Amino acid sequence: MTSTAAAPDVDILEREALAPPSSAGPGGSRSRARTVWSILVVAAVIWAAVASGIGRQELVNPGGWPLVRRFFAGAVAPELSGDFLRIVGDAALTTLAYAVLGTALSLVIGVLGGLVGSQVWWRGGERSPSRSGGWVAARSAIGVPRAIHEAVWGLILVNILGIDPLVGVLAIAIPYGAVTAKVFSELLDEAPRDAFTALRTAGAGRLSAIAYGLAPLALPDMISYAFYRFECSIRAATILGLIGAGGLGFQLALSFQSLRYNEIWTVVYALILIGLLSEVWSRAVRRRVTTAGARPLVGLGRPTRDRLLVASLLGGALAVPLTVWHLGLDPTTLWSTRTRTLAADLAGQAFPPRFSGAAVAELGRLSLETLQMAVLAIALAGGAAALVAFVAARRGPLSWLCRGVLLVCRAVAPPVWALLVLFVLFPGPVPGAVALAIYNFGILGRLMAEVVEGLDPRPAGSLRQLGATAPQAFLYGVVPRALPQFAAYNVYRWEVTIRETVVVGVVGAGGLGRLLTDQLAAFDYRAVSLTLAAMVALTLAADLAGASFRRALR
Amino acid sequence: MSPEYRSKEPVFSLRDVGVRFGENWALQHIDLEVRAGQRVALVGPSGAGKTTLLSVLNGSVAPTTGTARILGRDRAGIGGRELRRLQRRVGTVHQQLHLVGPMRVVHNVNAGHLGSWSLARAARSLMSPREIGSVEAALARVGIPEKLHERVDRLSGGQQQRVALARVLVQDPEVILGDEPVASLDPARARAVMGLLAELATERGRALVVSLHAFELAVYHCDRIVGLRQGRILLDVAPEDVTAAMAEQLYRL
Repeated sequence: MTSTAAAPDVDILEREALAPPSSAGPGGSRSRARTVWSILVVAAVIWAAVASGIGRQELVNPGGWPLVRRFFAGAVAPELSGDFLRIVGDAALTTLAYAVLGTALSLVIGVLGGLVGSQVWWRGGERSPSRSGGWVAARSAIGVPRAIHEAVWGLILVNILGIDPLVGVLAIAIPYGAVTAKVFSELLDEAPRDAFTALRTAGAGRLSAIAYGLAPLALPDMISYAFYRFECSIRAATILGLIGAGGLGFQLALSFQSLRYNEIWTVVYALILIGLLSEVWSRAVRRRVTTAGARPLVGLGRPTRDRLLVASLLGGALAVPLTVWHLGLDPTTLWSTRTRTLAADLAGQAFPPRFSGAAVAELGRLSLETLQMAVLAIALAGGAAALVAFVAARRGPLSWLCRGVLLVCRAVAPPVWALLVLFVLFPGPVPGAVALAIYNFGILGRLMAEVVEGLDPRPAGSLRQLGATAPQAFLYGVVPRALPQFAAYNVYRWEVTIRETVVVGVVGAGGLGRLLTDQLAAFDYRAVSLTLAAMVALTLAADLAGASFRRALR
Repeated sequence: MSPEYRSKEPVFSLRDVGVRFGENWALQHIDLEVRAGQRVALVGPSGAGKTTLLSVLNGSVAPTTGTARILGRDRAGIGGRELRRLQRRVGTVHQQLHLVGPMRVVHNVNAGHLGSWSLARAARSLMSPREIGSVEAALARVGIPEKLHERVDRLSGGQQQRVALARVLVQDPEVILGDEPVASLDPARARAVMGLLAELATERGRALVVSLHAFELAVYHCDRIVGLRQGRILLDVAPEDVTAAMAEQLYRL
């Protein structure tokens, strides 16, 4: 009797069993792409490890260990004298000021660039596969500033503007503005189009249709991203301080040069505190913004009454004039005669870039070294972070310990880690990779722990119900779902790290960054422009490779 | 072939069972006996306690009051390893959301073995799949033998539900529970999968207890209808005795 019950449905069963080729086709090619990428990744890691000289040449400088020991001894006895605390407090304000102004300006650039870089601006709402020339031009214009690291922008701008707080602000705002523009344009293009199209067909202009029909939908994500950018800006401001813009980074560099470990730790604790506060704040705001959902933040209807949100938005707006005053910013410097002359001079000296066989060969070698550092750094960081993330995502004292370690690792910028690592490792790609690995371990560990926390508990729960032990349910129900996302984050951080290798190069750890610092010190701007071109090319190539890898992972 | 699971003793025997979560009683005064070979449908509005009742039956929730005997064992006073051993003998089919999407079909089906495998064996199987014969047989039985190496999240909803059925087959339990197993499928596929489930459950004398949203599926595939409302059993009848008035009483707001 049971078989008769199923009989009428046999045709459906077979239709499903025969499987439409449409679903099998892309799945097959995708899994092939994944295999190819897996082989490539393993090969790249082996290559990076071998080429960097691990196991072949002397890497460790044993003479440095006492220094490291003394460094960590300083952790328990930070310099707490009133004078120094005042200096650190002032430096912290300066770093925050750079971060606030850099973020504010990058948001202005981001909104304008996001509009001009969106497909909906150029195509007026038709979703068509062909791309207009204007869109391609806008997106390329956004791509180049993004490919150059904030520290490099700082080094270039200081040649035009001299020692001026504007350097720090612009060095953050230009690359971050470009990234923000890219993200905002994507948010606008991904927002549901129905309201926009309805307004357009009712005769609304392009800009007003975007303002009323698209922007409100994209706004929560845009605000959320702005606060995330602020977190990043604090790290960038610290790095810029290291190369002379003032603030905590500058204090850190001074204390490092004179090997005053107690002072170093005071600054490091300040960095950790600021990092913690900014992350907690930004996380709270982002959670509220994205869960506010149906309630309009601005515009029609009663605006939000959420005190934290209102205070955060108002505080952000109020902070801008305050920081202008704190830094003593004078925007007129931007169009002063001196600036214009220096900019013209620099452009004249930098172009055309000087090509020579030797220079190109050297750039090729250092590009490979940069690539190598990034691969090695992410392999180390990703492996360690994947292990720690599962612990950090649980509740309990061990989790808090892990979260603490991760926070310290990411609150201290990579060049600072590089300075420390260079105590015990001989200069070259390995110390750079180790420094970047420590920093990325902090970032990846946090991202991965969030992945684990966000996983649907039902699959593992159903395994427990059929009698699996907790470790078995973890192995079959948690790990397989976390790993693809872990891999995607690793690839994404690898793309970012290609850019960031420059910063550890600046303090002498190798790669293209080191070459660039030497060329800038020698005022050899025709060589500088060639190196910059190589950096942009390398970053864009890494972005393309990473995007294709992440597509294969999906 | 394993022996038929027909025994004299009831598969489930609940006496005055109540379950309380915090302040709320999810179930109250439940008396229910299920025998081998029976196909029982649990019907009722959302929040009636169907999922809680199924959790009591598979041992993952212990009753607050009353006694629940699962496969002849009293749920009270067992835990840990003993509970695991009991749960291994009870299979549960959920909506396909409970499968592990990025993992291949073979591993998802093999997960049905986890109750009897050691951790080392489970880990080794992720490298090179073990007991592949039983997996292939189960997939052939549910009609998707060629999907062995596909990733589950690349399959259609109906195919995923068949993977969930194959996992239960591999687990080879003495009774199968279903928690809204076809709720996310369209009517035609829901009927196909439900028919398959009913057939698999009873072909070797297993019992089937399944919660269903759709009354007509329950009437068509099961031989006993148990209606729940606000944590209590409101009706317990044969499908041919179901009247429109009963359904009305069960679902009225």
